[in-house]
Amino acid sequence: MAADNPIDPIHQFEISKIAEMQIAGIDISFTNSSLFMVFAIAATMTLFILGLSKRSIVPNRMQMLSELSYNFIANMLRDQVGDQGRAYFPFIFSLFMFIFFCNFIGLIPYTFTVTSHLIVTFAFAGLIFLAVTIIGFMKNGLGYLRIFYPSGIPIFLAPLIVPIEIISYLSKPISLSVRLCANMLAGHSILKIFAGFIVMLGFLGFAPLIFLVVLYALETLIAALQAYIFTILTCIYLNDALHPDH
Amino acid sequence: MKFFLKIFIFVLPLSEAYAEGQETAGLPQMDISTFPSQLFWLIITFTALYLFMWKFVIPRLSTTIEERKDKISNDINDAENLNSEASKILENYNDKMNSASLESNEIVSSSKATMNEYLDKLKKDNEIKINAMITESEKKIHQQKQQSEQEIKKATIDTIKSIVSKYVETIPSDDEISKKLN
Repeated sequence: MAADNPIDPIHQFEISKIAEMQIAGIDISFTNSSLFMVFAIAATMTLFILGLSKRSIVPNRMQMLSELSYNFIANMLRDQVGDQGRAYFPFIFSLFMFIFFCNFIGLIPYTFTVTSHLIVTFAFAGLIFLAVTIIGFMKNGLGYLRIFYPSGIPIFLAPLIVPIEIISYLSKPISLSVRLCANMLAGHSILKIFAGFIVMLGFLGFAPLIFLVVLYALETLIAALQAYIFTILTCIYLNDALHPDH
Repeated sequence: MKFFLKIFIFVLPLSEAYAEGQETAGLPQMDISTFPSQLFWLIITFTALYLFMWKFVIPRLSTTIEERKDKISNDINDAENLNSEASKILENYNDKMNSASLESNEIVSSSKATMNEYLDKLKKDNEIKINAMITESEKKIHQQKQQSEQEIKKATIDTIKSIVSKYVETIPSDDEISKKLN
């Protein structure tokens, strides 16, 4: 492994075992990835435990933060899905907080970004895809197939439109997972590369340092933005499942 | 972002050159052997988070937010009630002010009227008195005039008598003189 290489931008994504574990011959060791998943949920829980410790009419800072995130996601869900989305709110809220904290913890140097691994984002995207498909068929029966043939399209275009719609529907989990994973991967790699340039250039390193600071601000924005995008797309897919006519 | 990607592509072989002689397995993301562990821990941690959010966070947050909403709407209601009460009181006050000013106007006008009446009466009484005095004094003047006329007549007769007595023996009587004078 390239562990000794100071500018290997990929090293930060490597998974190292902390405690070895096996169930039925499958390796499920507790790794640095698992550790940072635990950190992410611990950060979320800390935020809410502190925010909910003194529930008052006039909130303190932590309560304000937790209510802000609650209202943010609740409004997003209400705007995108409507009142029928209420049942899925715990999942959407947890999803947002988990991705948000994974992205943000990953920005701290020497940490690991859970969401930079495609398998993690794909697990979420695949779960969402399966859930949305099942919900769609449960709520609309076979009428859910209408989403492949939008209303107002002339019948002779159906052979063209329907395959396109099917492909776009099936590619949703892939685009959803790759978007988040690639953003995290590319962003963190670039940060690492510029950090490496600072070391390599010695005295002249201040130039990449300035750039790194700007880039870090951009990555902070992207960390929040990608969590938002992932969540809002989930809401949009959920809305498609609940209201296939629109 | 294309610029960054170019640098990325440029640096990748560089880093691999540094890592010469070491195993380069490509992206760690493609290492399938880590997948079961990641999935397993993802399921455990995310389920824990989901249960925490579902059972602990959301009920508490939503009740807090609902309570605040209720409190705010209650307070707004109270404020509205108080506001309407205040405007009622103001209306009352204005009514009272209006009626009081009307009353005071009435009092002023009635007192004016009584004063005028009194003054008129006073004037009339005085006029009557003055008239009475005038007629009395006129009477007195008339009397005095008549008296003085008679006295003048008597005096004239007496003067004539005395003058005539100096020249004539027979003194004419008073009647004769007065006839001659007229």
